Amino acid sequence: MEQELLSLQAEARKNLDQIAEQGQLEDFRIRYLGRKGQFSVIMRELGAVSPEERPRLGQLANTIKAEIEKVFAEKKAVLGSSPQSGTKGAALIDLSLPGRYPERGRLHPVTQIMNEVCSIFEALGFSVAEGPDVEHDHYNFEALNIPAHHPARDMHDTFYVSDSILLRTHTSPMQARIMESQQPPLRVIAPGKVYRCDSDITHTPMFHQVEGFLVDTKVSFADLKGILTVFTQKMFDKDLDLRFRPSFFPFTEPSAEVDIACVICGGSGCRVCKQTGWLEILGAGMIDPEVFKMVGYDPEIYSGFAFGLGIERIAMLKYGINDIRLYYENDLRFLSQF
Amino acid sequence: MKFTIDWLNEYVDTEGVTSAELADHLTMLGLEVDAVTEIFQDLAPIKTALVVSVERHPDADSLSLCQVAVGAETLQIVCGAPNVRAGLVTAIALPGTTLPGGIKIKKSKVRGIESFGMLCSERELGLSTRHSGIMELPADIPQGQSFIEALGLNDTLVEVDLTPNRPDCASVIGIAREVAGVIGRPLILPVESVEAQPSTAAFSVEIESSELCPRYGARLVTGVTIGPSPWWLRKRLLSIGLRPINNVVDITNLVMMEYGQPLHAFDFHKLADKKIVVRHPRKNETDFTTLDGVVRKLDPDMLMICDGEQPVAVAGIMGGMNSEVSDSTTTILLESACFNSISIRKTARKLNLSSEASYRFERGVDPGGCLLAMERAVMLLCDIAGGTAELGGVDKYYGQKPFNTLTLRIKRTSDLLGIPLDYEIIEKALTSIGFRCKQKDADSLWVGAPSFRVDIEREVDLVEEVARLIGYNTIPTTLPTVQLRYPERDTSRTIRAEIGTLLTGIGYFEAINYSFSAEKHLQWLGLAEDDPRCRFVRLINPLNEEQSVMRTMLLPGLLENVQRNINFQKGAIKLFEIGKVFTPTGDNEQPLEKTRCAGVLSGNRFGESSHYHFKEQDVDILDAKGAVECLLHELRFLGVGVLAPLSFALPEQGRMESFTDPLQFLVIKDGEHEVGYLARIIPGVLRKFGIKQDVFFFDLDLDALCQLRSVAKNFTSLPVFPAVNRDIAMLVPEHVAAGALVDAVLQTREPLIEQCEIFDVYQGSKIQQGYKSVALSVTYRSAQKTLTEKNVEKVHVKIVNMLGSKFEGTLREG
Repeated sequence: MEQELLSLQAEARKNLDQIAEQGQLEDFRIRYLGRKGQFSVIMRELGAVSPEERPRLGQLANTIKAEIEKVFAEKKAVLGSSPQSGTKGAALIDLSLPGRYPERGRLHPVTQIMNEVCSIFEALGFSVAEGPDVEHDHYNFEALNIPAHHPARDMHDTFYVSDSILLRTHTSPMQARIMESQQPPLRVIAPGKVYRCDSDITHTPMFHQVEGFLVDTKVSFADLKGILTVFTQKMFDKDLDLRFRPSFFPFTEPSAEVDIACVICGGSGCRVCKQTGWLEILGAGMIDPEVFKMVGYDPEIYSGFAFGLGIERIAMLKYGINDIRLYYENDLRFLSQF
Repeated sequence: MKFTIDWLNEYVDTEGVTSAELADHLTMLGLEVDAVTEIFQDLAPIKTALVVSVERHPDADSLSLCQVAVGAETLQIVCGAPNVRAGLVTAIALPGTTLPGGIKIKKSKVRGIESFGMLCSERELGLSTRHSGIMELPADIPQGQSFIEALGLNDTLVEVDLTPNRPDCASVIGIAREVAGVIGRPLILPVESVEAQPSTAAFSVEIESSELCPRYGARLVTGVTIGPSPWWLRKRLLSIGLRPINNVVDITNLVMMEYGQPLHAFDFHKLADKKIVVRHPRKNETDFTTLDGVVRKLDPDMLMICDGEQPVAVAGIMGGMNSEVSDSTTTILLESACFNSISIRKTARKLNLSSEASYRFERGVDPGGCLLAMERAVMLLCDIAGGTAELGGVDKYYGQKPFNTLTLRIKRTSDLLGIPLDYEIIEKALTSIGFRCKQKDADSLWVGAPSFRVDIEREVDLVEEVARLIGYNTIPTTLPTVQLRYPERDTSRTIRAEIGTLLTGIGYFEAINYSFSAEKHLQWLGLAEDDPRCRFVRLINPLNEEQSVMRTMLLPGLLENVQRNINFQKGAIKLFEIGKVFTPTGDNEQPLEKTRCAGVLSGNRFGESSHYHFKEQDVDILDAKGAVECLLHELRFLGVGVLAPLSFALPEQGRMESFTDPLQFLVIKDGEHEVGYLARIIPGVLRKFGIKQDVFFFDLDLDALCQLRSVAKNFTSLPVFPAVNRDIAMLVPEHVAAGALVDAVLQTREPLIEQCEIFDVYQGSKIQQGYKSVALSVTYRSAQKTLTEKNVEKVHVKIVNMLGSKFEGTLREG
């Protein structure tokens, strides 16, 4: 009996040593430690042993079983978690299989850029206002110092709904709308859709703009440069070179266009920047005194600046999108890239 | 505006300034350079050649056999031109050369005789339409040279994108003035001033609408011989892409480009009564043929230049055929006038006709400059066309403006620009381009703007000039000092952002469609003509039928997107859009703009998720419901369900949509008020959109959702006592909605019931036909104690009995 126990101990140890895979552990457990395992068989035989020998052999059997169980537990810990009791030969997990998660969607790249633009200005203390897409001629043009038959109207190919109602050609009408109903100081951005009746490889009849303006006493062109420099550098994530050059908008004076060093070629000249090394990203200027007069602000007291930028253009530059029409086809192969 | 560097150099010496530097200067002055190109590069392989001898081709009367000297070689060339003759200097394309028109020259045999190249006509070189013979070059041009170099054609073209406020720069002299200012060199003008001319009796000018014609100057030039212009003049026009026509027309074009003053030459003998009348057309004058041969319809508002009988030109836009200069013309009446910009603009629009002249008049031509340009043209007509200028002329000048002197405040300028300035800096800047300055007092100066600067009217216009001339990049970069204020956010924007986050989180991609759509799409949906969504805000000038009305629904655009994605083999489509729809309110009124959020879903439920883990399954109506549930739940609106204000409900009697499956259609209600709906779209409608698979959608009224109250975040103590779960499987008639059972359980408002959920619905062979089994899991819990079986059993039995009697149900065994 004692011999039997000792050889079982040796055999069990040897077998346990040879186990290299988790899957074999369960067979071992059933064979030696299970209810019908070899130790149980020996324990049942204890009944047949003489009463004098029984306590000693019983104790020995228990010690040996405890030892094997301990070694088994250690082995199990080494080889990983134990297979659940009741499941037979659980398969080894293949870790090269893909992780499990449900697909997520994405926001449209225009929305992503719009959100980024708005949050930069919100952090600078600008509030966000939205206005109607279908606008009065008055707010879209007259209030912005663009009377009927002004050549600047050529810059706006306008969709008309009636004689005096049109699809706004820019987000600038919000300047007039807000100034008309509020008093300075004002710091506002107005994002939204705008429309021009123009459609080719570089134009879609609808696109997105963000208008921004700041009105207070003592606002200068230098301040305009400051705010737009902060914006541009945050938007494009680097200390990009930028330049301000004179331009013309009827509702600002002086007016400026802002160029950044070409993000594609770094300024050495390429197709995207038309070999100039510069990319135009926004238009801006000091609000024209005529615009102030129309909303009842005294231009001798207040000054301010305004700017407008095209979201699609920024997205094109930031993401390298080369065809503007892709924006409105809503092709998932496009939408899932951003 | 186009010009070349060589041309520019006539008025300002740019020696030592590269074309790139010049372009940069102009751009930084607000004259944005669009392109800088080397021109005539396609003529680089063409050489000059001397015809040494000419014999008749032995086998063809019309061909000549020529010996032509090109450099050290003498080549045999077969030529068909009638004007080929010994001693002629002309242009030759040698074998291997490709001409501008694409013709490749090869060594060839012409009627059996070898020819080693081609002598070229102007048309073959792309220089004019002349093709009556080969080019005749001045005899002093040596043979064997590069053609473009010998003729001085190598030049650099600069294209400037002019802003509408700078008509003065629609002229090479205008550009030269800016360049001279910035590089600090003098401006050289061909004609600097002109003496007032006494009126002549040879012809008369009457102006009937002087407000539309502030100035009309005219001169007579007699004894003119019409012919081709000399090379230097043709070259100027060719270099900026204008076609040379004849010496008289070329001169008017050249001077227009030089001075920015449009000129027109009439054949004086074609003018009835030796008379010019500037007036509107008479009632019977309805048709007029312009120089381009097109018959134009006149209207009474247009301004016409007429002779004693009839119109001879559309003022400021284009001349007429009836007074055109022709080869037989000998006397020219030259017009140099100024017309009202709005009138020209309206007429050009109505006639759909624009010209270099109308471009300039629309933006504003300086009435003060009319005579200078006319003098320059008259001089050239005498020099080049052999004319004699009649002494005197006509100058009707109604619109003479008093000299415009403005006051510019130095401190104001400094404050607006944010840079300290003084009198000297401002004076230096402004005088560099022809402004006159005089100190007025310690803080201000008088500034006289030149008359060609029609854009300078106010102090702020001068501030801009100063900024532009000192350079925007010298102005410092500062941040404004402002009062701190919290920017309030608007609810609608916040909710839209949250919806975006939530829907992308459950697999939806955001779409943006045009705000306009096609009327036919709503017909495809089968909407009745009197449906409010068929009342459109209509565009007067749409680009096409597909984009002719403002959308009243988001669905059609999304269905087009579904179709496109299916075409590109996307097996799983989940898209949403948040956008405006438009409802007309009245004529000349802004429409109502409502924001909606719609989604479409079709194909595989799990999209691009790993197909190993997520087996392919098609979406169904409950996916659409789930998306909406997720939104309403996560936006924390006041709960959804039988005990909450928001609910999903079957549409009431009469609530129908022509495009939805009546059996798969739910409306989302806030109390009695509908805030959205979701449904399966019927296949017949989908086929019209080119879709052959199931599509489900939801459509929510975002403005209504923004009005809903949301649940404040409010902590509830975690339960202390364990819950008891009991399942019920009820056999109920198959028409009973499973959700009704849950609602009924919750409606008992038994305090111990914490939750009730459906966990299985079964219909099949194991149970009686006409019945289904609905398995509910009910969670019981008390806040005061651990529940015993007895406590639960009492309530549970009550629930089971209630369900049994309410739904004619029986408890399903085992």
